[in-house]
Amino acid sequence: MTMRTKGTMAACMAALTLGMASAAAAAPCAELAHGADLYRTACAMCHGTRLEGNFETPALTGRFVANWAGAPVSELEAYVHRAMPLMAPGTLSPDDTRAVVAFLLAANDLPHGRTVRVGARTRSACPS
Amino acid sequence: MDTGRTLSRRSVFAGGAALGATAMMAGEHILLPHAASAGDAGDALAPPHRPHLVPMHPRVDQITDIKVCIRPFRAAGPRLDVERIGDKTVFHNYGHGGSGWSLSWGSANLVVGKVAATLNRKVAVIGCGIVGLTAALTAQRAGFDVTIYTRDLLPHTRSVRANGSWTPDSRIALTQTAGPAFADQWEQMARFSWATYRTYLGLPGAPIMFEDNYILSDKPFDDGPARPAPAGTPGRMPRATEDFATYGSRIRDIIPAVEDIPAAENPFAAPHARRHSLMIYNFGAYGHLLLSEFHQAGGRIVIRSFHTPQDLTSLPEKVIINCPGYAARDWWRDDSLVPVRGQTAWLPPHPEAPYGLDYRGAALLSKTDGVMIQAVDLDGLGEMTGVGNSFEHPDPAEAARAIGVFADLFARMPMVGG
Repeated sequence: MTMRTKGTMAACMAALTLGMASAAAAAPCAELAHGADLYRTACAMCHGTRLEGNFETPALTGRFVANWAGAPVSELEAYVHRAMPLMAPGTLSPDDTRAVVAFLLAANDLPHGRTVRVGARTRSACPS
Repeated sequence: MDTGRTLSRRSVFAGGAALGATAMMAGEHILLPHAASAGDAGDALAPPHRPHLVPMHPRVDQITDIKVCIRPFRAAGPRLDVERIGDKTVFHNYGHGGSGWSLSWGSANLVVGKVAATLNRKVAVIGCGIVGLTAALTAQRAGFDVTIYTRDLLPHTRSVRANGSWTPDSRIALTQTAGPAFADQWEQMARFSWATYRTYLGLPGAPIMFEDNYILSDKPFDDGPARPAPAGTPGRMPRATEDFATYGSRIRDIIPAVEDIPAAENPFAAPHARRHSLMIYNFGAYGHLLLSEFHQAGGRIVIRSFHTPQDLTSLPEKVIINCPGYAARDWWRDDSLVPVRGQTAWLPPHPEAPYGLDYRGAALLSKTDGVMIQAVDLDGLGEMTGVGNSFEHPDPAEAARAIGVFADLFARMPMVGG
């Protein structure tokens, strides 16, 4: 492979990645709304209606963001799927899991990309 | 000393003859219900709750200290927003009115959560009052490397001039100015703080403990609906007691309820009495414990004064939790802070009488480091007492009036003993 080909491929990859990133910068509003609904029914009873947590249950803001910063979103989704909700782990479908995670990221003003990117704060344009 | 016959009759109220006899052998006086002298009540009427209290005899010539505090009141509730100063991110944590101790852990939890999202590992905490120290400990527990920068350490800060009891909505905000969102935040802070305080119960030296607190009145308690606040919005300054927020009902599922004491069981020379279990903070033991915990976890303390917000730019830490208490008015030029003066007089500890009283606008708490007597509202001004007053100088006459309330109460009370 020539240098030129490599360069073109790299540029394509970059464009592809950028394109994907911009397409995925915000989860579709319908998915966020579904995630918010799921959060209310499956998560809020422990983590609080405002994600605030309590003395026993961690908040899903602040330290949650720090704990997952830089991690692949797929890892967060896998964790939520296998561990949550605590009283019925594994019961969220893959689509529901993605929606809940999309909601959690949006609630923390984090973009919905491949990784949990702190520092690229973005407010969701969806109606809350 | 009373005869055995009298004791056996009165013991219906005092908690049993055995208890009365024990107390007599120990040379103690025991307070009895004032209805006891009315004649035999009969065992069938044995009350479910039988207070047996050692009386106190507070006197002005027993004063060991008079402390004046200035509650850092903000109409909108504590300042918890974030501000940039140069390359520093400052997380404010001040202005908790008369609820700084009670809300300290919950407020720290909120602020440290926000700090964590910055991904910094080192954090500076400004101030070492109870709000600064609990913020520092909470940050340590969240994995931060913490340095406290402070002019004074806890024993010298305004925090230890408080009365030291669970008062989470004491002049914490004005209902209208703070709005409903703050009520939710208050509840979150109060619940978290309460749960954290409970972890300090039952420890050597009793840093935190419960004691029975008796609320006494010459008139029947007025349980009618609260009077409405004055028309219009109060803005930054309270206009009347009714402007102040009361959120206590939001957490009554975890706070021991106040119970009425029937007349036959009321040992006090006041016709109406209520009792509740009150959480109190013993400043000496608790402050020492918190400072020790901070040092043991590798925390550093730098004694330093700040004069302008720009001074913060010289700190090595990028993230700062700002907990100056009332000092924010001066060094952060924050005139949203309204001073609310309060004063406590301290008498020698009286461990044989571990209870509290609230009567005729004065409060008494029997703590491990002394009997605290406070003029809460001697002149019928309600929550407006001390508002706008930043006179941080002891007022011996005020202390004498508050002590006089309880001296008079005990002078009128029947007792058993030698």
